[in-house]
Amino acid sequence: MSSLLQVRDVHFDYQGHSVLRQASFALEEGSCSALIGTNGAGKTTLLRIAAGVLRPVSGNVVLQGRPMESIPLKEVARAVALVPQQLELPFDFTVQQVVEQGRTPYIGMLRGPARGDRIAVDRALDLANVSGLRHRIFNELSGGERQRVKIALGLAQEPRLLMLDEPTQNLDIGRQVELIDLLHFLQAEGITILASMHDLHLVDKNFSTVLLLSPGEPLASGTPEEMLRPSILEHAFQCPPDRHPLLIERAGLYQREA
Amino acid sequence: MEIEVAAIRERSAQEAMPLETVKQEAMASATVPGNGFQKGLALTALLTLALGIAILVSLATGAVSISPRAILAAMLGQHPLTEMQRLILFRLRLPRVLASGLVGSALALAGLLFQGLFRNPIADPYVIGSSGGAIFGACIGIFFFSQWSIFGFSATTLLAFVGSAATMALVYSLARSAGKTNVVTLLLAGFAISTMFTNTSYFFELFDKSGASNRILLSWLHGSIGIPAWTELAVSAGLLTVATLASLPLMRTLNTLALGDEYAQQLGIRVEAARVSIILIGSLLTAVAVSLGGMISFAGLIVPHVGRLLLGPDHVRLLPVTALAGAIFLILADSAARTIFAPSEVPVGIIMAFIGAPFFLYLLRKMKRSYTV
Repeated sequence: MSSLLQVRDVHFDYQGHSVLRQASFALEEGSCSALIGTNGAGKTTLLRIAAGVLRPVSGNVVLQGRPMESIPLKEVARAVALVPQQLELPFDFTVQQVVEQGRTPYIGMLRGPARGDRIAVDRALDLANVSGLRHRIFNELSGGERQRVKIALGLAQEPRLLMLDEPTQNLDIGRQVELIDLLHFLQAEGITILASMHDLHLVDKNFSTVLLLSPGEPLASGTPEEMLRPSILEHAFQCPPDRHPLLIERAGLYQREA
Repeated sequence: MEIEVAAIRERSAQEAMPLETVKQEAMASATVPGNGFQKGLALTALLTLALGIAILVSLATGAVSISPRAILAAMLGQHPLTEMQRLILFRLRLPRVLASGLVGSALALAGLLFQGLFRNPIADPYVIGSSGGAIFGACIGIFFFSQWSIFGFSATTLLAFVGSAATMALVYSLARSAGKTNVVTLLLAGFAISTMFTNTSYFFELFDKSGASNRILLSWLHGSIGIPAWTELAVSAGLLTVATLASLPLMRTLNTLALGDEYAQQLGIRVEAARVSIILIGSLLTAVAVSLGGMISFAGLIVPHVGRLLLGPDHVRLLPVTALAGAIFLILADSAARTIFAPSEVPVGIIMAFIGAPFFLYLLRKMKRSYTV
């Protein structure tokens, strides 16, 4: 396997505060990675930098062997899609119209969408299981439906790397499982996945790599077994070990294994 | 764990269709450009017809009424009209009706561009101060450089453009903070700058010793379409055509910008370049409208909104519909301005304010949240 994306020694400051320090990681082609960390640790910032939307203060991002800043925006958009936490639309766009925006990197300024673009949109709608919503108004959808439409928008870009910012946020447990299943299906189709996750229960069983961001510390990475140890989580999340069910549960798990 | 992951994978692969099947089904059912496109085309055709009728009705009505049939015959080169009627029709009404159409189109298109750019349905050239800036620029042109022209464009038109673009840049930069546009700040800054420029324009009267420009200025500040010279009409029509053609490729971009600046950038849009282009084209359209009709409020607010109600928010479909509907709307409003109190005239800006202000309040009420970019 080769690295699809490499982030090397990335620093980022926001209004004088250091948000990211020495963040380095690589995503192997076809991998499924989770990005975890405390609130404000810089997960969203790191995803935006990895998607080429933000430029780091120092360090660099290499996409498919080329420095991110040397790749034209449209070319980046054909390789990388970032599904953000929030999407608010000012007007009553339908689901189909929203997902069609995913074809922007493929459509010239004066040319309308071609047959291939319509096929890609239909396929994205199908994959995210929102074909039945295509004529609904996006702003009138539930949180779970919106999440799936946002993923369809990302899939319409036909990316090699799909990044999702807190994709299970506001989803009930049934919709969370659906989303995880969808991520596995996409991974099986060869799409590399990187998702920032709050729910560590979901991370354990479903991701091959865990990237851990702790405030003021370099990014750490490893397998879920390595990274979800109670001692690591306790330190990274500054959470007393006997106060949160997850830490208690994981302490029991590791003890049994030992 | 690996076993579980494999099991989940297998399940998802079974539940969801294999990619090839999805692809094939998508190929078979790939959505045809579809209903919306045909609806847009039908509405455009309908509005073109309605524009023809509006022009005819507007030419026929006024203090002296002329039958539409006679007007059509006269247009076709026959001579059914008296000399007086011909004079009224071709020297007075036709230039004014055409000017109304140009002003209406320009304002509606500028409204469409600004509403799309600011992601807000209450942005229009009047509300966000673009018209005020254009009036200010045009006043400087009238009072200080009335004899100047560059490549056939009068100093008035050019300075109206400069005033409009500079105001937009100022208002926008005031409202912009940390990558977002605060809509409340945008509207308040637009209001403040617009008020300042409008009153500064009144101040220019003091410089006018002859008083000749006074009348022009007053009617301008109220918003009134006079009887323009044919050269002025031709220049305005040329500028409107250029602005419309230039905004064509930006319509798809406006759809993408509706997702937010960062999302648009992530989809490959060069957001800054798009933003500058939209502001320049919107300012040019405002300048065309102000040069011909002065400060006409709310046309740019109402027309795109009605367009969206009929066709949805896709800017590509909205462009022709907005241009045509804007022309029809202002031609009819100006006909009303000429005829309601005939033989006296009401400035069309006053009619628009009476229609537009309640509509603006309705939109404000309907918007339950303030939009930010």
